[in-house]
Amino acid sequence: MRTIRIIQRRIHSLLKRSNADAELQREIEMHIQQLTNEAMVRGVPENEARVIALREFGRIDSIQEECRDTRRVSWIQNFAQDVRYGVRMLRQAPAFTAIAVGTLALGIGASTAIFSIVDAVLLRSLPYPDPDQIVLLFHVPVNQPDALQGISFRDFTECQAQNRVFSEVAGNAFHDLTLTGAGEPAIVNTADVTPEIFPLLNAKPLLGRTLLPEDGKPGAAAVAVLSEDLWRSRFGANPDLVGRSIALDMRSFTVVGILPATFRYPEFAPHQEVWISVRQDPLFGPRTTQPGVRLLGGIARLKPGVSLTEAQAEMRTLGARLAKEFPVEDSGLTIRLRPYRETVVANLRRALLILLSAVSLLLLIACANIANLLLSKATSRGREVAVRIALGASRARIVRQLLTESALLGLLGGVAGVLLAVWAVWSLHSFVPSEVAQISSIHVRGRVLVFALLLSLATALAFGLVPALLATPSNLQTNFKEGGQRAGRRGGQRVRSFLAIAEISLAMVLLVAGGLLIRSFALVTSVNPGFDPNNVTEAEVSLPQFQYSTPQQWTAFSNQLLPRLQAQPGMQDSALAAPLPMDRQGQATFAFSIVGNPPLPPGQSITANYSTVSPGYFHVMRIPLARGRLFSEQDSSSSPNVAIISDTLARRYFPNENPIGRQMRFGFPPNDNVSRQIVGVVGDVRDVALSKEPGPMMYVPFAQAPLYGGEVVVRSSLGTSSVAASIREVVHSIDKNLPVTDIEPFRDVLGQSTARERFRTFLLGSFSTIALVLAAVGIFGVISYSVAQRTHEIGIRMALGAQRRDVQRLVLGQGAKLALLGSGIGVVLAFLLTRLIASLLFGVSTTDPLTFGASVIVLLGVAITASYVPTRRAMRVDPIVALRDQ
Amino acid sequence: MPKPTDLLQGTLDLLILKTVARKPLHGWGIAKRIQALSGDTLSVGQGSLYPALHRLENQGWISADWEESDLGRPAKFYSLTPEGRKQLERELKSWSRLSSAVHLLIQNA
Repeated sequence: MRTIRIIQRRIHSLLKRSNADAELQREIEMHIQQLTNEAMVRGVPENEARVIALREFGRIDSIQEECRDTRRVSWIQNFAQDVRYGVRMLRQAPAFTAIAVGTLALGIGASTAIFSIVDAVLLRSLPYPDPDQIVLLFHVPVNQPDALQGISFRDFTECQAQNRVFSEVAGNAFHDLTLTGAGEPAIVNTADVTPEIFPLLNAKPLLGRTLLPEDGKPGAAAVAVLSEDLWRSRFGANPDLVGRSIALDMRSFTVVGILPATFRYPEFAPHQEVWISVRQDPLFGPRTTQPGVRLLGGIARLKPGVSLTEAQAEMRTLGARLAKEFPVEDSGLTIRLRPYRETVVANLRRALLILLSAVSLLLLIACANIANLLLSKATSRGREVAVRIALGASRARIVRQLLTESALLGLLGGVAGVLLAVWAVWSLHSFVPSEVAQISSIHVRGRVLVFALLLSLATALAFGLVPALLATPSNLQTNFKEGGQRAGRRGGQRVRSFLAIAEISLAMVLLVAGGLLIRSFALVTSVNPGFDPNNVTEAEVSLPQFQYSTPQQWTAFSNQLLPRLQAQPGMQDSALAAPLPMDRQGQATFAFSIVGNPPLPPGQSITANYSTVSPGYFHVMRIPLARGRLFSEQDSSSSPNVAIISDTLARRYFPNENPIGRQMRFGFPPNDNVSRQIVGVVGDVRDVALSKEPGPMMYVPFAQAPLYGGEVVVRSSLGTSSVAASIREVVHSIDKNLPVTDIEPFRDVLGQSTARERFRTFLLGSFSTIALVLAAVGIFGVISYSVAQRTHEIGIRMALGAQRRDVQRLVLGQGAKLALLGSGIGVVLAFLLTRLIASLLFGVSTTDPLTFGASVIVLLGVAITASYVPTRRAMRVDPIVALRDQ
Repeated sequence: MPKPTDLLQGTLDLLILKTVARKPLHGWGIAKRIQALSGDTLSVGQGSLYPALHRLENQGWISADWEESDLGRPAKFYSLTPEGRKQLERELKSWSRLSSAVHLLIQNA
């Protein structure tokens, strides 16, 4: 109550100062009037009475001033004074301010940038309502729950019909179709869906409608929903497009609606541009009736109140029933659910958390640096503080003053840090691997800004408090007597050394972690992929299915294409293959069996990656032949089926025997039971990732297993642009409506395949560089300060005959001691911590002696260099000046 | 007429609180009343009265209102707040402790 009244009154007097002054004036006037009246009662004439009254009242202005003082809103005014004083102090010491703000900015900028990414990827909710209710369905072998597979259309229908736990179940598959009739032919990312996916993800159309259940029925009219981006870029945002038809793979689809750009599924994949019913897809449509083809990804929304465990139990029962009812396709399989969010962020969580920890270490180093700086600053102000205390300032008041200064520094550093973070996030855009997140979704946003602000204030206050307390000793006299120096040295020097050691050891940890990642990255990029990517250009050619519907047409196309390409000037070799190593759409993995070997128990299978290639492929890629022969033009659809296997497949499944002449059964569904004779063994290829050991691989001749297009690979010493022009020209000379996309040098494709590694290596590498700089600044600060404090001592030593060399040893020795202790502790810490990044490493152990050794040498070198500058200053001390000064 | 004794430092707050405890008064009234009740022994100078009043008001122990005075024009009347009453009790207690201590000291020294 009282507090409220006081606050009211103080606010009143703050806001209405003139008003309060006027009231005071009136009050005093009233008093003087009374005095005048009193005098007049005594018989004094009026004008004289007023003079007497005024005299009796005393000095009006000083009374007024005193009254004003009582209502002074002291803490606000003190605060304003502190801020003014703080700004003045910071401006008087520009070097100190610059170093402190710079240090903070680096620490806070880096943390804020990483936090922005974490915010965008891990914390942000997915753009669907109740995203935690969304699960993905997979068919998995009972004994291999991690071998996730799709679901066949039949099994999907069973899931839909039998479930009691989901409010919606939908299926989706992805396929690229060729859009013609609207400018250049283009490949559009098409989602083949069942119509339930729209209500499941709460997709609301921008125009028209989404797919309705009727659109998913067999025999329904072909309709398509377009993305807003496609609608704008290809159709000029024409609202009349709804109701018109477009041509996909040369077949007409009626556009029924436009989905807004904000709708994305899957959240982290390339944008989908067209949605059609899976039954209408030229590739998947016919396969919806083949129960052995697991073409659909299942997605479902849990009914409210149903837990994942309940749903999983229900699906297990269903899986068992399917296995019993359809033993041919489903025996040994069960259905597994995974939360959608987990699937989306699973691969990223670990790496991001590691980055976040690394950046926290960096921030800690920055904090230690700040504390060190403030400490030096505060102790060197010991005498000033002593004077102020002697003049009546309370200890609390002085601590507050020093804290205000720290807070100012913190805010400045915070602002600089946020600017740095905005810049960093902006420039990281080109670095972030596209699967990490939709690039545009990473921003320094509100939540992140609050994070940065709190971080900078907390940093400044936490690390300003100790110096502030140390600077205001309870015993005033020591400070006066010793000019405020020794008081600081007693507690201060130890704290400062401790901080410097902590900084060095943390920097050591980051340095080792960064070093390990850099070494991994160097190893990954220098690993032999099993083929020669130099001078190879790839391009994607896709044949519209409704026009090129038969395998004969596909073969005919390749038979026309390859000789014409070969005839172009400057082309050394050319081939057609699908898929290529590092294909962004992933590799094809098929089960196979070896003719003559005993059959595997049900539910078990052996798999290998599969590629269909034209005969020139092995020449273009320079994949060496180990045994037997390569494919030739004679391997055609009319000749016996043949296959080439990789070294690993040969070693693993044909140990101690010659695989040439043996038969294997495998193939692109539905031709998965075709027996093929092994004619050759070629070298292993890293096809999934450079960091992944090559797995078993099988190749078939394109002529015997043609596809609706594929990747053209060309070896040529010409530049990419002329090669690209040649490929386009040749393809268009066959069919001017065929799109040629993704023309890239194979080197770039390889580079993109290591984007993740490059990204985190770059980040951790920068963190360790920053850490190194900060540690250097820290040790420089401690040694310089110590030299400044010991000038007197050094003067005496020199006067007593110490040589410059002795001084050098004294000061450098101090720095070396700190550096050795710090890196010693750091090595132990790094030893304990690097196992946390084991999963990010490739080819180096977490205790790689080379990395550890190099880090120690670099850190010690930097630390000694940093202490060398103040050492030189110490060596130049003139004993006479130093002694006279005291 | 002997000059009234100056007030002991710190007792002024107590006197003001006690004076306005009975009824609201303006500054001049408070000064007059202290002088009158003490039999003209104590006098409060304007130089210390007004700052004291404003300080007490800022501390929330007295509150002020502009009311019509006997002079026919508005004056600032001070009255005791509930918190001020508690403060007055505290000050009375500490005053009686102090005065009895001083009394004891004088008697026995």
